Amino acid sequence: MTTLDALQETLAAEHATLYTYGVLGARTSQGATPELYGVLDAAYRRHRSRRDQLRLMVEEAGGEPVAAAAAYELDGRLLRADQLASAALDLEVSGVQTMLALVAQSSGTVRSWALTEATWSAAWQLELGGTPQTWPGAPELD
Amino acid sequence: MGSALAAPLVLAACDIDPPARESSSGPATAPPPEDADLVASVVAELARAEAVLAEAATRSAALGAVRTAHAAHRELLIGAVEGAELPASEPVHLPDDPERALSVVRRSERRLQRAVREGCTAAASGDLARVLASIAASTAQHSAALSSEVAP
Repeated sequence: MTTLDALQETLAAEHATLYTYGVLGARTSQGATPELYGVLDAAYRRHRSRRDQLRLMVEEAGGEPVAAAAAYELDGRLLRADQLASAALDLEVSGVQTMLALVAQSSGTVRSWALTEATWSAAWQLELGGTPQTWPGAPELD
Repeated sequence: MGSALAAPLVLAACDIDPPARESSSGPATAPPPEDADLVASVVAELARAEAVLAEAATRSAALGAVRTAHAAHRELLIGAVEGAELPASEPVHLPDDPERALSVVRRSERRLQRAVREGCTAAASGDLARVLASIAASTAQHSAALSSEVAP
């Protein structure tokens, strides 16, 4: 796999993550659960920036950025605050795995950026009720 | 920890293979020799950070989880390099004041984070870089947890 392939895979995953965060945010009440709303909103912004950066990196690598799908399938209808937080936690757990895959398939500035994003997603899991892990993003090492 | 890591190897494929998602690119390859020095320097940093945690753990049980994670990180890295040994770490003396001692631990973890990050970005092996990225992510999680830890 080339770095460009890895970037495209990461971008495709990021499209799905951003879509899901949008849905989760829309189902979150800023008035009733302001803390959760703030956490989801901050994550949405981070992932939007991540998607934009990935698009740039794909172009810089000579590729045409993969487009987002019209919609993505979500598991069930999440309505309670704890369900929304849990779904967001799953996104960040998956996000670390995705970024670690990009780390392995890249070097230089792309790897450094992927590492930064992996550590952000790992740390953000704690805001969503997660706990520190020994091998985030690499569960086969446990 | 996976049993595949029990035997010392030269960062061979079975040691730190990525999961199925990446394995489609073919089997992992052993990294070039220069990564051995890089691994040794990260192991030394882990040993140093563990020594700080060992001293501090007598005062805060919450630090035990960080120490356990770093021990697993160190074990995997040592097991991945043929002939690697655990370096001796300097004796650690923490301040008596719990809050100041916790500050020392936080600084130590930040220093470790920098070292692991440098190792990850410099690694010639993508597989090794991925392992180091996971260690960096774990350290970031534990540091975030420590940031909200209140000294006893």
